Amino acid sequence: MKNLQDTIREIAAQSLARGEVELVIGWEKGDLWWQSYPAFIEEEKEADRLIWDPLCVPNLSRYLLQELSEMDEKKIALFVKGCDALAFNQLLQDNRTVRERVVLYGIPCDGLVDPSKLEREGLDRDLQEVERDGEELVLKAAAGEEKRVPAKDYLYDKCLTCRYPNPVAYDQMLGETVPVEPEERFTGVRKLEELDYEDRFSYWAEQFSRCIRCFACRNVCPACSCIKCVFDLQEPRWLGKATEPSENAFYHIIRAYHVAGRCVDCGECSRVCPVDIPLQELNRKIILDINELYGEYDAGVDPEQEAPLITYKTDDPAAFTES
Amino acid sequence: MRRIGVFICWCGANIAGTVDIEKVVEESKKIPGVAYAGEYRYMCSEIGQDMIRDTIIEQNLDRVVVAACSPRMHEPTFRRAAESAGLNPYLVQMANIREHCSWVHKDEEEATRKAVALVRTAVAKASRSVELFSQEIPVERRALVLGGGIAGIQAALDIADAGYEVDLVEKSPTIGGRMAQLDKTFPTLDCSACILTPKMVDASSHPNINLFTWSEVEQVEGYVGNFTVTIRKKARFVDEEKCTGCGDCFEKCPSKVDSEFDEGLVQRKAIYVPFPQAVPNVPVIDKENCRWFVKEKCRVCEKVCEAEAVDLEQEDELLEKRYGAVVVATGFDVLGLEEFGEFNYGKHPDIITSLEFERLVNASGPTGGKLLRPSNQEPPRNVVFVQCVGSRDKSRGKPYCSKICCMYTAKHTVLLKEKYPQSQAYVFYIDVRTGGKDFEEFHRRAVEENDAIYLRGQVGKVFPEGDKLLVEGVDSLSGKTVQIEADMVVLAAAMVPRTDAPEIARLLTLGTDAHSFFTEAHPKLRPVETHSAGVFLAGACQGPKDIPEAVAQASGSASKALGILSKETLLSDPCVSKVDESLCTGCLMCIDVCPYHAITEKTIEEKVHGEVVKRVVAEVNEAVCQGCGACSVACRPGAMNVKGFSNEQILAEVDAVCL
Repeated sequence: MKNLQDTIREIAAQSLARGEVELVIGWEKGDLWWQSYPAFIEEEKEADRLIWDPLCVPNLSRYLLQELSEMDEKKIALFVKGCDALAFNQLLQDNRTVRERVVLYGIPCDGLVDPSKLEREGLDRDLQEVERDGEELVLKAAAGEEKRVPAKDYLYDKCLTCRYPNPVAYDQMLGETVPVEPEERFTGVRKLEELDYEDRFSYWAEQFSRCIRCFACRNVCPACSCIKCVFDLQEPRWLGKATEPSENAFYHIIRAYHVAGRCVDCGECSRVCPVDIPLQELNRKIILDINELYGEYDAGVDPEQEAPLITYKTDDPAAFTES
Repeated sequence: MRRIGVFICWCGANIAGTVDIEKVVEESKKIPGVAYAGEYRYMCSEIGQDMIRDTIIEQNLDRVVVAACSPRMHEPTFRRAAESAGLNPYLVQMANIREHCSWVHKDEEEATRKAVALVRTAVAKASRSVELFSQEIPVERRALVLGGGIAGIQAALDIADAGYEVDLVEKSPTIGGRMAQLDKTFPTLDCSACILTPKMVDASSHPNINLFTWSEVEQVEGYVGNFTVTIRKKARFVDEEKCTGCGDCFEKCPSKVDSEFDEGLVQRKAIYVPFPQAVPNVPVIDKENCRWFVKEKCRVCEKVCEAEAVDLEQEDELLEKRYGAVVVATGFDVLGLEEFGEFNYGKHPDIITSLEFERLVNASGPTGGKLLRPSNQEPPRNVVFVQCVGSRDKSRGKPYCSKICCMYTAKHTVLLKEKYPQSQAYVFYIDVRTGGKDFEEFHRRAVEENDAIYLRGQVGKVFPEGDKLLVEGVDSLSGKTVQIEADMVVLAAAMVPRTDAPEIARLLTLGTDAHSFFTEAHPKLRPVETHSAGVFLAGACQGPKDIPEAVAQASGSASKALGILSKETLLSDPCVSKVDESLCTGCLMCIDVCPYHAITEKTIEEKVHGEVVKRVVAEVNEAVCQGCGACSVACRPGAMNVKGFSNEQILAEVDAVCL
């Protein structure tokens, strides 16, 4: 891992020095052990702020929206993991980024650490750094103590089901590609599908009732790339301001439909939710339906591929019109 | 505060029979913004319209809600009434308390409650409506007719006679269509070719008609008054200018294939004219079966052509043409009988469809009109006709009645008797349907004067035995099983649209029913119009029809097309999409979902933090947009808004109806 981190710093410094780009977006260490912040590096000497460790979870692609719009014609370098690359492609398909203005450095990713899983077992005490060493995590405490645990037990659930750990879009790949061994991703959806209508309704009603409408799920989502979100409009006011159950349900269902067919299944919505609403399941249900109706489709894999929900073919299934 | 007037119509007893009008008036007056509420027995009458006009002036109303029938009926009426009082016509909103309420509810209290809710909803929408203005759009004063059968020919002739130029596009090498294949026509027994060919000649010689045979429409863009159509003129490999129509080429051509025109009963050559009276009388080379194109050997036709008209290097031509109106007359096909194994169709030459019978009995057909059994070229004695093969058959065929089979089968029995007085016709039928002028009389003639035996029942099995066909059926009236030794079995296969109908529908954004017949705009009152403005229907592409119906509909379509062509400009409907560029994110999904190709992208410049940056947004061509709202639905940030049906209005309606 350290090697990759050195490479990242080196590349960032070089591309700024050579004037190939005017901005590098990577990760830097946060204030707490589990935090990684997006780092915006504009000067060569700042490149050493960049890090790469199993906690570098934020998807940096989304930051292009802001940065590109404010810098006409300038170029940006960006480090992308597998899920970040899918997000980048989706932004490309949505016309929200310009391929020529972005230099992508691909990072094959063998999964990121879910801090809450470490916390749950008290492994976070005095923890300062987490490193990946093969199939193990090395937990480094303040006193220089080291502890080794099996990595797989502490990865994000979304990483365990990840089907694209190796970036699908890059200008240069850093590091060796990693094996792709995803667990079944629709297990949760299938379980919910088995519930009868009433139970399913009350399950989601209960989930949505916790929503505090912080909009974190929207703000982190690479498919939520609108310049101005409908939920922020005063007129027409699509959504009431009160965080009452029906409005919450309305918000999440509209959001799920707004990202339908464009959700890259990165799972960031679920990760950032402060009240643990399993939002990824909602989006996966739609992905599953699309796959079953129109054939397998993975948003973000190929920006040139026609998206099923916006293409009409005369032989499209129309089960809903047949009684 | 708005000053909205609510006018509630009784529609005689249509609405007042189920809805308490007084109560609706009373409740309407309580809705905020409503300055006036009144009722009248027939709001669409002159008195009703005057009442609206006078009340707008007297009460100084700024919005109008008419609670009456569907806006498809009288919205234009009430818009005009408002306009006569000086109000912008788009400030009128209708609440449909007839189709959506009184006609579908029985309970007065419930119906009244719903009527009030519908009025409240319409008031909510009206209070957010804004003045809209039509634009004048120029009209390309030429017409396109798709399909060169009798319907297409008639439509083209009518438009051309009125003085407008028409392009008649036909997929096959000649015009004439199905009618050219027929022998006699019911109920008068006119010779089909004798009445059709003069029309074909008229069409080809008319100074205002341009024939494009062996041609297909490839792309359609634009809108009423201004269609741009790409026509693929397929390579004929014969120069139409040079060809003298002598026929030497097909005499000498060595390749033979089943003749489409003769329903596969005989063979034609790879270079061919479908039938002697074909228009134009210029052969085409069927590339798939020509030795030169398949094996690169032959070129006999080229060698024998004295006029040097054969041109094997010819290529397809793409022509881009502009039209103000389009008539679609693509005709019908006969249902494939693969599902109907009991008839053994295709397994024995004497088991044929009715269309094949037409060819056998036709003087220009394979037997020179002698009507001989295909198996042994002998005259038939017993002929069994089976009705409703695939028609009125939900499980294996089509649920609808093909309409013409009862009559053409009666005709076939008469023709059979004429040719062979000793012969006997048997007809298996479900019902005999003879609705039409002189139709019943003709059917009686088949039964009484020509001794056709009609058996009410179905055929279970047809199978060859010796040189005969054994037909086993049930006569449901006597309850007995019937076995007939037949020389020929004629199957009245269902009428279906052409196989490429869905493709034509896609090109012209037409609706189709479950069987791919094109859908008219209204089953009763707009039977030749479609939901695509400027596109009209003629003939069997819209549903099973006989010749006079197809011709009448063609003339109807022509007159509708002329209604457009006779104007220099059309007024556009202002209820079209509009982009709010400040909200548009530039994802351009709207372009993909727009069925009318009305949306394009454009780059705008705007200032962000003091710097000028460019970004892409959507742009609507208001003349092309039909206001369908697909873009508005696809638009996540709500930047696409249909004028007259804005997001604000629809949300207000939802809020009002949920109260």
